[in-house]
Amino acid sequence: MKRFALVVLCVGLLLSAAACKQEPVNKVIQMSTTTSVNDSGLMAYLQPVFEKDSGYTLEITSAGTGAAIEKGRTGDADILLVHSKSQEETFIGEGFDETRIPFMYNFFVIVGPGDDPAGVAGKATAAEAFQAIADSGSQFISRGDESGTNTKEKAIWTSINIDPVGQAWYESTGSGMGATLTVADEKQAYTISDKATFLAHENSLSLLLEETDDMKNTYSVIAISPKRFADTNAAGAQAFIDWLKTDTARKMIAEFGVAEYGEALFFNMD
Amino acid sequence: MIKQVLELLFGADPELRQIIGVTLRMSVMSTLISALIGIPWGVAMGANQFKGKAILSRITNTLMGLPPVVAGLIVFLVLSRSGPLGKLSLLYSVPAMVIAQVVLISPIIAGMTANIVSLRAPSINETCAGIGINGWKRLWLTIKECRIPFVTSVLAGFGRSIAEVGAVQMVGGNIQFKTRVMTTAIMMQTNMGRFELAVALGIVLLIISFIVNSLVHRIQEQTLRDRTA
Amino acid sequence: MIALRDVVQQFGGRVVLEIPGLQFLPGRRYGLIGENGSGKTTLIRMLAGTSRPTSGIIEGLQGKKVGYLPQSPYAFSFSVLENVAMALDGRNDAKELAQKALVAVGMESLVEARGERLSGGEAQRMALARVLVRSYDVLLLDEPTSSTDVRSMDFIETTLKEYVEKTHCTLIFSTHSPAQALRLADEVLYLEKGRLVEQGPAQGLFHSPEDERTKAFLRHWSLNS
Repeated sequence: MKRFALVVLCVGLLLSAAACKQEPVNKVIQMSTTTSVNDSGLMAYLQPVFEKDSGYTLEITSAGTGAAIEKGRTGDADILLVHSKSQEETFIGEGFDETRIPFMYNFFVIVGPGDDPAGVAGKATAAEAFQAIADSGSQFISRGDESGTNTKEKAIWTSINIDPVGQAWYESTGSGMGATLTVADEKQAYTISDKATFLAHENSLSLLLEETDDMKNTYSVIAISPKRFADTNAAGAQAFIDWLKTDTARKMIAEFGVAEYGEALFFNMD
Repeated sequence: MIKQVLELLFGADPELRQIIGVTLRMSVMSTLISALIGIPWGVAMGANQFKGKAILSRITNTLMGLPPVVAGLIVFLVLSRSGPLGKLSLLYSVPAMVIAQVVLISPIIAGMTANIVSLRAPSINETCAGIGINGWKRLWLTIKECRIPFVTSVLAGFGRSIAEVGAVQMVGGNIQFKTRVMTTAIMMQTNMGRFELAVALGIVLLIISFIVNSLVHRIQEQTLRDRTA
Repeated sequence: MIALRDVVQQFGGRVVLEIPGLQFLPGRRYGLIGENGSGKTTLIRMLAGTSRPTSGIIEGLQGKKVGYLPQSPYAFSFSVLENVAMALDGRNDAKELAQKALVAVGMESLVEARGERLSGGEAQRMALARVLVRSYDVLLLDEPTSSTDVRSMDFIETTLKEYVEKTHCTLIFSTHSPAQALRLADEVLYLEKGRLVEQGPAQGLFHSPEDERTKAFLRHWSLNS
């Protein structure tokens, strides 16, 4: 008798679960972002306000850009927040009518030893700085992990026709920004970093070059199309995108980091 | 994806080969040095009764269970530029990984060796004493009698070395063409969402583990058969 | 003469052997009998020097050549001949003497076999040959025939008697068989719970024991064999 009651209970639960699926609103938005965004603390800062304003719950996972975008392909995310234009364009080019919405930017920085043997400080562009590093044969540490930062770095090398892979002065860690900064610090080598992670990381390296045009770093969101996965939370993703355009969100982004570092870390798109 | 994995495995992907090469070089070096330290250490513990044996074996057992990241952290701090051996600039090199692995593996080899020796030492000691064989000669006979099981403890050390990831990531830095080994490469490729190379390396790692385990198993069976025949 | 004075052996606080006084005369054969755990092995190991008494003195072994066969001797993983010859390390005729000793324990057919492949009984006989290949002043054997099959028993006992007659050594052996003690020993010592209960000429102790405990042990043994 007891067992029968249990079976009835289970069937009832299953039916009610099926009934729940019919409800229009999924309250959970799965967001896939990159480690650098997550490490900067920006999402932790925006999340509670967005959740309070919208009633949605954000579940944020972070990985390197490659893996972060891959989660969009495997159906493990409703929305992507990434910063690698070329990889984003490949993704939206897969034919599911998705759009890439750039909403903020900041600048990468070139950091290195304080005595700056390659003379990076004062160069007009990152390309010139990279040329100087290559010419002097100074150690350069690359993330080598196909992250947004790594993609930007490779684009700069390509722009000056240098293939650094395999050069004695060039080492690729295949690790996150924090680990790469530790390696650069230990080796007193140059590297390219997003500013937020560099400022948050404890090391003896100096910020040598920033805010050049070729180090602009654009962050975009991409809502996963229901054409890709029928059960994706498109409404939730759209709610987040709409929220990013509100004055509240824009003000928060503009103010992020000012109190701690004395300057803004991210800038809103016009 | 299966096609790409097979191409990586059977093609001549230079990076895959290079990673396997670094891994084997590191593991063989680590295992040899660990054996040179661990076997005499284990023989000393297993063959004799002496003052402080209990504390030494407790320390060995603790070290056998040392978490790899703790070993990595210690070696990192020692070899770091600001650490006591920073002048050697060994951090993020294969020797640094070998050092971290020796810290991890030599206690394991020592512990296994001590077990192997202590199974035979009482009987060998009594027998030798009865016919007037003592000292170094008796110790040498004990080591000779244990040589086959010693191979299993060394192989176990090798298996541990090749599969270890935490410590080598910390002190090796996973630097391409230099300190990137199979485990750290698998972790990195997975984080990057590029599973082909990760799976290919995983298969190679499994094959090596399988070979090592088969060898251990065969040796153990052989000794068991000899002893009970 | 070997003498034990106030000898006590403790393991982990437990007294396993306590002998106020005991003497072994040169050239005589002594058989130790008693249950498992009565202290036979402990006594032999102390005489062999592989176990030190917790307190007390053992005299008369300084400068003496002592041969000892432990209860479970080790068979090394080389040939039976080499296993025996190892006791004569350095002598030119080691192999010939080893061969003779192996014949004496009935193992001539196994000379080339490898030590680790021997059965328990074969390993014990080989180990006996390894001890008997040399001559000693004192020979200590801990249950030398415990794994030997009955057919080889007589053969081994004859070999042992001949060895003692030839070398005039003092033989001290333990055995689980009072009958063997009667066959091999001049004097028999009965041990119980780490104490020496009764000692006397083999025939006398075997046929008319004085102590009740000895009587009980022998009666129990004869009923079971």
